[in-house]
Amino acid sequence: MGATTVVKARPARPPSPPETSAPRRTGRVPTGPGRRRRRAGMLMVAPALLHASLWIGLPVVVSVALAFTKYDVLTAPEFVGLANFRDMLDDAVFRKSVVNTLLYTFFTVPFGMALGLLVALALHTGLKARGIFRTAVFLPQVTATVAIALVWLWIYNPGNGLLNMMLSFLGIDGPAWLSSTTWALPSVILVGIWQGIGMKMLIYLAALQSLPRELYEAASVDGASRVRQFFSITLPLLKPATFFVLITSMISAFQSFDQIYILTDGGPANSTTMMTYEIYKSAFREFRVGYASAQSLVLFVLLMGFTLVNKRIMGGSRGHN
Amino acid sequence: MATTELLKPAPAPGAPKAPARSRSVPVGRIALYATLSVVSLLMVVPFAWMVLTSLKTPVEIASQDAGLLPEQWEFGNYVDALKAAPFATYARNSFIIAISHTVLNVLVASMAGYALARIRFRGSETLFYLFVAALMIPTYTKVLPEFLIVRFMPLAGGNDILGQGGSGWLDSWWALIIPGAVTPFAVFLFRQFYLDLPVELEEAARLDGLGEFRIYARIMSPQVKPAFITVALLTFESSWNNFLWPLLVTHTDSLRVIQVGLSVFKTENGTQWHFLMAGTTLATLPMVVLFLIGQRYFVQGFATAGLK
Repeated sequence: MGATTVVKARPARPPSPPETSAPRRTGRVPTGPGRRRRRAGMLMVAPALLHASLWIGLPVVVSVALAFTKYDVLTAPEFVGLANFRDMLDDAVFRKSVVNTLLYTFFTVPFGMALGLLVALALHTGLKARGIFRTAVFLPQVTATVAIALVWLWIYNPGNGLLNMMLSFLGIDGPAWLSSTTWALPSVILVGIWQGIGMKMLIYLAALQSLPRELYEAASVDGASRVRQFFSITLPLLKPATFFVLITSMISAFQSFDQIYILTDGGPANSTTMMTYEIYKSAFREFRVGYASAQSLVLFVLLMGFTLVNKRIMGGSRGHN
Repeated sequence: MATTELLKPAPAPGAPKAPARSRSVPVGRIALYATLSVVSLLMVVPFAWMVLTSLKTPVEIASQDAGLLPEQWEFGNYVDALKAAPFATYARNSFIIAISHTVLNVLVASMAGYALARIRFRGSETLFYLFVAALMIPTYTKVLPEFLIVRFMPLAGGNDILGQGGSGWLDSWWALIIPGAVTPFAVFLFRQFYLDLPVELEEAARLDGLGEFRIYARIMSPQVKPAFITVALLTFESSWNNFLWPLLVTHTDSLRVIQVGLSVFKTENGTQWHFLMAGTTLATLPMVVLFLIGQRYFVQGFATAGLK
C-alpha cells in the first residue's frame, strides 16, 4: 500500500473529536462554544470553498453547457444541440488526435511503469548510493515540461543534435526525428517515458518498503526462488500501488500538452496531435469555443471511462484516486 | 505519515531481491550498480547536454564535427541571453506568481483542511467529498471556462458589471495569480495530516480558553510542519513549471512567465541554441536547487499526490 494508504479517503471517522460542549442532539439551535466552533469551521472552509466554486465548480457547469452551443466569444452562444458531437465524428484530425492520445498513453504508461518498477526494485535492495540514483531518476519530474521539451528538441535536432551525433559515431545516419511522420510520435513518446519514470519509480518504491518482510522469509524457508517470490508475493501485493500508478499516469498522459506544443505543434501532418492540442487549437486559434468544450467533454468522459474499466479489471476499490 | 520512510535506509535483508545472504553478492551488486548507473546517466545526460550547449559558441554548435565539451567555455552566453530576451523579468514574474500561489495555498488550504478534519458542522462531510471530486476534474475541462470567466470578469479591465466591453482580467496579475491559487489537492493533503493529531491537544487548548482560529494557528498547525513544507514545495513547483495558463491569459512581454518566455524565444530565435539553452538552464536551476534542498518533502508529497 505505502503511498496509497495516505491517499485513500478515510471513511467517516468514528465519532471523532467529541464536541465537548453543547450536546449535539439537544436542539436545533445549539448555543455556546459548540456553535461557535461550528461557525469557526465554516468560516475556515469558506475561502477554499469560494475559490473552488468559482474556478472549478462553475467552469465544469459552463463547460457542459457550452458543449451544446456554437460560440465564438464575440457573439452570444447559440444552442446547436448535438451538432458539435456530430462534427467531431466527421473531423478526421480530431479522430487522429484521439488515436494519437491513445497510442501515446498506451506506450508511455505501461513501458514507463515497467521501467519504474524495475528501477524501484533495484533501489529497494539497500544500495549505499540509492539516494543519488533516486535523485537522478526523479530529476526530470520536478523540471518543467517546457524546459524538458526544449532540451529534447535540441537533442533531436537532425543536424547536430546529441542523438544523431551519437548515431553517427556508430555510422548510422539518423532521421530528422521530429519532422518525420514516421518518427515524430515515437520521439514524443520517448520523451514521455523518460520524464515519467521518476514518478512511477517513487510510488513503487514507497509501496515496496511497506511490504511485510515475514512473507519473504517464509517463502525462502519454503525454498521459493527469488523470481517465484517476485511473481507470487511482490507483484500481487503491489496491486494497489500498480492501480494507483496506472490511473494517475493515465490521467496525466491523456492531458499531455506542453511537450506537443514545444516539440512538434501537432505536426508533421497532424502525426503527433493530441486531444488536448486539438482542444487548444479549436478554442484559442479558431475561436470555436463550443466545439472545444464538446471536445474537452469527450476527453473527460474517455478518462472517466478508462478509470472505471481499470478499476473493474484491477478489481480494486482500493488505491482510491 | 506513511510515505516518509522513503529516505530511511532500506530494510535490506528481507527485500525481494536483496542478495544479502547469497554467495554471488559482489557480482550481483556490481551488475546492479552498473545498471542503475546507466539508467541514471540516461536521466541526467539531457541536463548536462543543455548546460554544455549553453556554454558553446554558435559557431561550434553549427559545426558538424564538434565534440561534446565546449572548445572554449563561453560563460558570457548567459549575460548575452539575458540581453537577447528579458529572461530576468520572466523569472521575476514566475517567482512572484509562484510565491503568491504558495502563500495563498498554504494559508487557505490549511484552514480548510483543518476545519474538515477536526470540526464537525453541517455539510462538512459532503464538502470533503466535493473537494475530492474536484481533485479529479481534468485540467482541460476547466481551462476554457476559466479563461472565459477571466475574460468576462465584471468591473475589471474596462468591463461593465455584466463583464462586457473590456478585457477583464486578461493580461493582469489577477489572472495569473487568483485562479490557480488554491488547489483541492492541498486541502486534501492538509486534512490527512490534521486528522492524525491527538484530540487532547485541542481540548487542552480549549480549556485554556483559546478560540478556534488560535487553536488552528498556534496549537495544531505547528504540529504538522511537514505538511506545510510539502504543500509549499509542491505548489511552488507546479506554479513555476506551469505553461498553458500563463500562455492563455497574458500577451504583454512584461507579464510573461519564464516557461512562456522560453517558448516564445524558441519561435522567434529558433536557431540560437546557445541562448535558448542558457535560458532553459536558468529556468531549470531554481527547481533543481529547491528539489535538492527539500527532497524529503518532495518525495513524500509526490508519492502522496501521484499526480500533478
